[in-house]
Amino acid sequence: MTGAIRTIVAVLAAAAALYAMQRTTPVYSEITSPVRTNGQQGKRVETRNFAIGIAKVHLARSIDAPKSGRPHSYTTSGVWVIVEAAVQATNESLSLTAAEWLGPDGTRYSMSQRLSTLPGTPGTEQLEPGVPRPMLMIFEVPESQLSGATLLVSQSAYTPLSEEAAVAMTEVQTDDIRPVITIKRGGGTLPWVLEAE
Amino acid sequence: MTTIEASPRGRRAYWLSLAVLVVALPAAMYVHSDGGVVDLIQETQAPLEVQRGEAQTYSGAEWRLTALTRLPGELPETEFVLAEFEAAVSDPAQFQAAMPCQVRLTDGEGRRWAPAFLVERVIRAARPDVSEKPRCLNFAEARTGDTIAMAESFVVPKEAKDLTLSLSLKGEQPESLLFD
Repeated sequence: MTGAIRTIVAVLAAAAALYAMQRTTPVYSEITSPVRTNGQQGKRVETRNFAIGIAKVHLARSIDAPKSGRPHSYTTSGVWVIVEAAVQATNESLSLTAAEWLGPDGTRYSMSQRLSTLPGTPGTEQLEPGVPRPMLMIFEVPESQLSGATLLVSQSAYTPLSEEAAVAMTEVQTDDIRPVITIKRGGGTLPWVLEAE
Repeated sequence: MTTIEASPRGRRAYWLSLAVLVVALPAAMYVHSDGGVVDLIQETQAPLEVQRGEAQTYSGAEWRLTALTRLPGELPETEFVLAEFEAAVSDPAQFQAAMPCQVRLTDGEGRRWAPAFLVERVIRAARPDVSEKPRCLNFAEARTGDTIAMAESFVVPKEAKDLTLSLSLKGEQPESLLFD
């Protein structure tokens, strides 16, 4: 009798374990998702392959920037978020091509394609070990997604298990939204120049 | 509770199954790695070290590093490194099949630099002869006896020391040459 009870308990335990495994099986995108390193705005965040530090965050209702060599005004129904950062490859030359603004409700915003060709934006330059370089990231987000956001920066949005820096944007001045910020082509060490009105 | 005694035949089958697993598991990993295991083994192989100025047969050519020159960089605390090397072709088919080559600059700390995308203005002004040399990409017209002079440029921090140049061609053994 005891043997029969043991058998039933073992079968039930196995069925429960199988059910639990079936319900918690990760999907492919979860298995291959980026390897995240968490950090905070204002501090250096070091992943295995690169390091990043957020220098400044500017908010604007409109951006004036060159388009095909002519001045152009980019308006938005939300807010422009302009992030100035310093990045550096750690051990090997690489390019950082992906950046996302992860809003407080979990919504992800990719970099604005309207301003993706400006100098210094991700993907426009190869990063070298030991040579820190400035990087400019521009997002177009609703005003409700400014506070409590996280900046995600990685080598590629599609490479499995790529390194990703997740920077908690704790010092965004949501009450300081400028009407217009002008982005001009820079020179020397800083590829761009920002002017706020 | 009753204990079931395994027969000698059952025991033999049990141990045989375990022994088969020892072979079957690595074989399955190898097959499903889709060449990844071979790549991993090749990556762990030590490169063939070559003294600067000396020639080494590799992938249908005699390879030689002719110069590794440092120039002032455009960015603060950086330098350009110009790597000039040449290949005297002995087997054009093998040489062309292995192209393009992967060139990396490594320092004493193990940091690795890939060549710059473009030849910078500073290099064109200081060394126009080098800036006109082709990169190690594709030489479909190569013939036996040709000596092809190539160059790559790198951006490194000033403090980078003990630089060596590695040159790798796909599918070749050893995996790479390391010019000291």
